[in-house]
Amino acid sequence: MHPSVEAFTLAAGLLALGALLVHKAGLPPLPVYLLTGLLMGERLPVEELEPLPSLGLLLLLFSVGLEFGPDRLKGLSGKAIRAGLYDTLALPLGFILGLLAGLDLRGAALLAGAIYISSSAVIVKLIIDLRRAANPESEVVLGVLVLEDLVVAILLALLGGHGPVGFIGGIALALAYLLFARFIGPKLVSWMEGLSHELILLLGATFTTGTALLFHAIGASEGVGAFLAGVIAAALGLRERLEHLFGPVRDLGVALFFLVVGAKALSLFQGLTPAVVVLALIGLLLKLPLNHAGGARVGLSRKRRLYSALYLVPRGEFNLVLGSLALEQGYPLVAQVAVLLVLLSIPLGALLIRFAPEIGRLLLREAPRPRRPARSS
Amino acid sequence: MRVEEAVLPGVGRKYTITVQSGDRIVIVVHHSGKREVQYFEAGEEDEPTMALDLTDEEARELGAILAGVLFHPEAVGDTQSKLGQKVIEWIKVLPGSKLVGKRVGELALPPGAHLLAVDRPGAPLIPNPSPDTLLETGDTLVVAGSREAVETLKRTL
Repeated sequence: MHPSVEAFTLAAGLLALGALLVHKAGLPPLPVYLLTGLLMGERLPVEELEPLPSLGLLLLLFSVGLEFGPDRLKGLSGKAIRAGLYDTLALPLGFILGLLAGLDLRGAALLAGAIYISSSAVIVKLIIDLRRAANPESEVVLGVLVLEDLVVAILLALLGGHGPVGFIGGIALALAYLLFARFIGPKLVSWMEGLSHELILLLGATFTTGTALLFHAIGASEGVGAFLAGVIAAALGLRERLEHLFGPVRDLGVALFFLVVGAKALSLFQGLTPAVVVLALIGLLLKLPLNHAGGARVGLSRKRRLYSALYLVPRGEFNLVLGSLALEQGYPLVAQVAVLLVLLSIPLGALLIRFAPEIGRLLLREAPRPRRPARSS
Repeated sequence: MRVEEAVLPGVGRKYTITVQSGDRIVIVVHHSGKREVQYFEAGEEDEPTMALDLTDEEARELGAILAGVLFHPEAVGDTQSKLGQKVIEWIKVLPGSKLVGKRVGELALPPGAHLLAVDRPGAPLIPNPSPDTLLETGDTLVVAGSREAVETLKRTL
């Protein structure tokens, strides 16, 4: 038998065990995948698991593009966009922080991105798992995430290329895709209506990985390619169909991906300096006041604006893309901060979101409770 | 009643319904089909008085009850009505159908299926159509009979 079967069984068993352990406590499973990976470290046969984790990341970015693409901006309320603008202040602040840490312009921009971008995938999963979707702060948070993903995709396109060829090539390719969706899209869609689910699944998978490959080949970031593939699929009106078809495949890939991230992290952190830890901690705290102020600006109540700031703590998929980019371009410091942010913020963020009501009660205890006359019934 | 709709990217759609009394109901329709329902008393902005999760099926059933459909069973379903084991079906003559230009007498009705009427838009109903009635695009055939016979007829058309 192929050795990958053994590796897969081990990995899937570990993931199931981890999910089972936290299930009882009402905690989301994602951070446990990461921590399980960390605990296993090099004992996990990472290479044998490929290509599932790599595919997991591409599919994750694809579904982020599918759900959080720029076409969502139209459907958003002005509230969410205003809160998103406050959130964007993290970029210049992160940039200054990078310069202070002795990085050059490109390195500082990468660091700013890693501090700025929260993880749509992780946060959406937490909001659904913890049944917070109907709450007023969720609408604002999800709107902010749409804006963040758009900004970071542009940032990645600007920083991702190897020199000017990759940059211009990436932009040209993105434009070609958008034109294709605009002009050939409608015809393609009416043709695809009649196709079976299975065929759509296969075509979607080919499209996603193919676009990622194409972007990689011209020296641009493959992560942006997968994200763009999702945006195009959404523009073609395939959002709901692909969401249904890709969901379970993606979830398995993503779980394995986070497991592998955890397992590989230890080797990245050999030679971890205090500077990295300090930068990551500042990065973690930097966005809290910004998002709190943003929540206040859009009229969330005291409690809800605190929640909204806590919701935006987890960093994830784009940090890992930025991290691997930083490593390629010779900024190991930025890569370490980006990955450390993921490792810290996902478990911490999950706890903060889970216990947000308790934290709110604790912090806002002295706030005068608005009295309402009892309703006669 | 005021209804506000918002997209929740990655989650689904959220409807905020304010009713006459000032009470609010927030409904989130998840991509997965799950519905989350929250009820806020009038004047209460922050904490729902009640929260409820419904599966897709439960939500549909609840919707039918709210719409009063269960009191008027004949309003349910597409265009099929049940008369015990017999059914009545409305069959539309679509553009390009092979029925266009045919006479009623030429229709190969399976045994057990009967043509009750032809409903032509903008014209009086043609009850019990004579064999030389000519079928046109847009006509609706009203067919009754046993379920199998009507299904067979639908397949052959």
